[in-house]
Amino acid sequence: MAARVERLEHGGYFKYALLLPAVIWVLAFTFLPLLSVIRYSFSSYVMGEGVTGFVGFQNYVNVLTSVEFWQSILVTVVYVVVAVPIELVLGFLAAWLVNLGAPGSKTFRAIIGSPLFTLEVAIGYLGVTFFTDQGGLIAVPLSVLGIHVPWMSTAYGGIAGAILLDVWRWTSFIFIIVLAGLAGIPGELYDAAVLDAKSHWQVMWHLAVPLAWPVTTIAVLLRTIECLKTFAIPFALTSGGPGTSTQTFSAMDYLTTIQFFDFGKGSAMGIVYLILVSAIIAIFFQQMRKQLT
Amino acid sequence: MANRYDDKKFGEVVRDYVRGAISRRQFIVRGAQLGLSAAVLAKLTRPSRAAANLVDSDPASPYESPITPERVAFLKTKPYKGTTINVMVLKATVGDGLKYHVPHWEQATGGKVNVAEVPIETLHTQIFSDLSSGLGKYDTYMTGAWFYGDFFVPKDPYIVPVEKFIADPKHSYWDPDQWLPAMRKLYSWNEKVYGVLFDGDAQALYYRKDEFAKKENQDKFKAKYNYDLPAPPKTTKEYHDVADFFTGWDWNGDGQKDWGISLHAKVNEQGFFHFLTLSAPFVVSPDNKYYFFNPDTMKPLINSEGHVRALEDYVKFLANGPKEEISWTLGQGWNLFLDGHSATEPTWGDLPTLAQDPKTSKVQGKMGAAPLPGTTEAFNPITGQWKKYDLNQVGNTNGGSWHCVISRLSKKQEATYDFLAFMANKKNALFNCTTGWTGVQPGMKFEYIPPMGTGKVTDWTGANPPWNEDDVVEYLKAYYAVLAAPIQQEYLRIPGAAEYWHDLDINVSAVLAGQIKPKAGLDATAAAWEKVTDRYGRDKQKALYKASFA
Repeated sequence: MAARVERLEHGGYFKYALLLPAVIWVLAFTFLPLLSVIRYSFSSYVMGEGVTGFVGFQNYVNVLTSVEFWQSILVTVVYVVVAVPIELVLGFLAAWLVNLGAPGSKTFRAIIGSPLFTLEVAIGYLGVTFFTDQGGLIAVPLSVLGIHVPWMSTAYGGIAGAILLDVWRWTSFIFIIVLAGLAGIPGELYDAAVLDAKSHWQVMWHLAVPLAWPVTTIAVLLRTIECLKTFAIPFALTSGGPGTSTQTFSAMDYLTTIQFFDFGKGSAMGIVYLILVSAIIAIFFQQMRKQLT
Repeated sequence: MANRYDDKKFGEVVRDYVRGAISRRQFIVRGAQLGLSAAVLAKLTRPSRAAANLVDSDPASPYESPITPERVAFLKTKPYKGTTINVMVLKATVGDGLKYHVPHWEQATGGKVNVAEVPIETLHTQIFSDLSSGLGKYDTYMTGAWFYGDFFVPKDPYIVPVEKFIADPKHSYWDPDQWLPAMRKLYSWNEKVYGVLFDGDAQALYYRKDEFAKKENQDKFKAKYNYDLPAPPKTTKEYHDVADFFTGWDWNGDGQKDWGISLHAKVNEQGFFHFLTLSAPFVVSPDNKYYFFNPDTMKPLINSEGHVRALEDYVKFLANGPKEEISWTLGQGWNLFLDGHSATEPTWGDLPTLAQDPKTSKVQGKMGAAPLPGTTEAFNPITGQWKKYDLNQVGNTNGGSWHCVISRLSKKQEATYDFLAFMANKKNALFNCTTGWTGVQPGMKFEYIPPMGTGKVTDWTGANPPWNEDDVVEYLKAYYAVLAAPIQQEYLRIPGAAEYWHDLDINVSAVLAGQIKPKAGLDATAAAWEKVTDRYGRDKQKALYKASFA
């Protein structure tokens, strides 16, 4: 019996059997839908009639020559490039202070994760009450101080408002991962560094940051990927307006594919975006490998 | 005139009509061509309504009035016990209005209603996902009138006509012949009724008649503009002067500067209806009824000289309201007027109904109403010519005119119709249109007071909260004038209407935000519309567009 088990474990079938559920899952929910999307991207689709014909690369041409598409990419990139670094800096600083045992750390650690449990669309709608000129909880105090930000009536105001809400929600994600990374640094290294450094900030910069970097980059990568898909907060806040100036890629693809059932163009947009994001991730990993070596 | 009557040919026409091969209109036209009286044919073919022996009310259903004896007998059997109807509604005032009637119908019939509320951004998606996937989870959907074209894309339409149910006296009594014609059209397709009465939208001009009546305001206006303060403004020029006059100073005495106009122009939230309504008299006229497309070529008309001038004119109004209004939802726009800070607002009938609630309104009894201003010159986009008029005012049915249609996939169509008809019954319909939080506006003759209709002022002054009598008269007179105007702006109801309007919405919003110029915005809209038309099929769209004028 033991020999039979040993044969199975080292033989071919057992390990494949164990892998099979995961493979089926990935095929069913990733590859098959992807093949479907690729098929639609070369087709014309009309709601009520389905696929009405093969159109070659016309959908891709329409996407790549669409001003609205490139604008949504720009909005998304600006969103990611501003929001993620802010979340990284704030999240890392918060984790560092909690790791040091600053006063109030226990309480802070308990409550900082709560924004993660709120729905993004609720945050977006709540944002309207914060940023409106008509009694907004953020807009009005700022205007009393002489700071008038056209949050809801301009592109930059809308994106800034959405980014603030995003930072409020997602900083804790970076915090939790970085805190785990900092906790993994041996205490003796801290003790030695404190002897040489002039301040805790020097310890943070010369010790904590480099040693926590591998974990931090994972947090940044995960957050960047999520942020590239951002939809609910900006859409609930501004509906993509004025015009389409705060419309992220996800919002545009949602409207095109789901609201107007243009599966052909929407699928082509998705494929183009997948290629762009894959390129960004590949460059990211390349830089990360360089950093580590 | 030679007698063209031919017994055999008429028999064929009758056979085709009875078989459903031709519509009632085609039957009347062909009969008239054969020499018969069109009026007689129309009367003979009018769809039968429930029995005329109505009684005022019955304890079997205290929320129905009038009611048929057949209905009373039917309800005694609790006919829908064990039946559950699934309803998808708009998450808004109109959805709340529908939900109000649910427990009353359930009590009367024994049935059960599950209501799913969906925000406007996703309503179209959710309706057509349920239908096109074949899932058919819902028996009925609350639809915007502009979704209609999409219901008729497949060979077998997604929704069912309701005329056979209307004729059955065991269902709640309501009479489609009471509809104002412009409103009936939005509930019908190819002359068959598919929708059951609920909401009847149109945009009109609401203004602070008390401020317009003040002598000091009249004197100041005349000193500035050299003519009497028009109450209400009849032309767009007068409207600009009025809006300008009331902007930037404290005319309501509360210590804050006030505004001349309030708008709710947020993109993806029906903001584009402002442009549709305000631009209509620049393009629609006694000489041209086409606003969206050339019916012969299906080429967009939206970037014509008339449309561009209209958008340039609309942009000028931005100086007369808070800058943020370009991103305001309906509620935010209405609040400015209800709080007493705006002298005018071009919008839906929700505003005067909400004005009656002293908890949220400071303007009850102070509200004037009128059709939207017209122009003295309009552009014909078909001929490419401008023409002067004494006053070119255009009516409209702009808005959702939200109502329920029955899914072809529903296995409980009769029960579903019964629920919808219950809400259309006169007593409930009057409750809806006189009660602000329901979001429902009047589209039936019995909802209007004489001489426009057969209703009573007390229907409104007896509501909760009660209407101010002056407001009732102002509102109904203006609203009726808009719906019954001889020149009407067309309502786009071809497949893809939601997409066409979205393209217009985003470009108008970009113009309002100063991101692009009006001509560039409308040119971009026209280019986007061409792509939509090609995707749906130009010839198909052309045929349906022409049919929508029938």
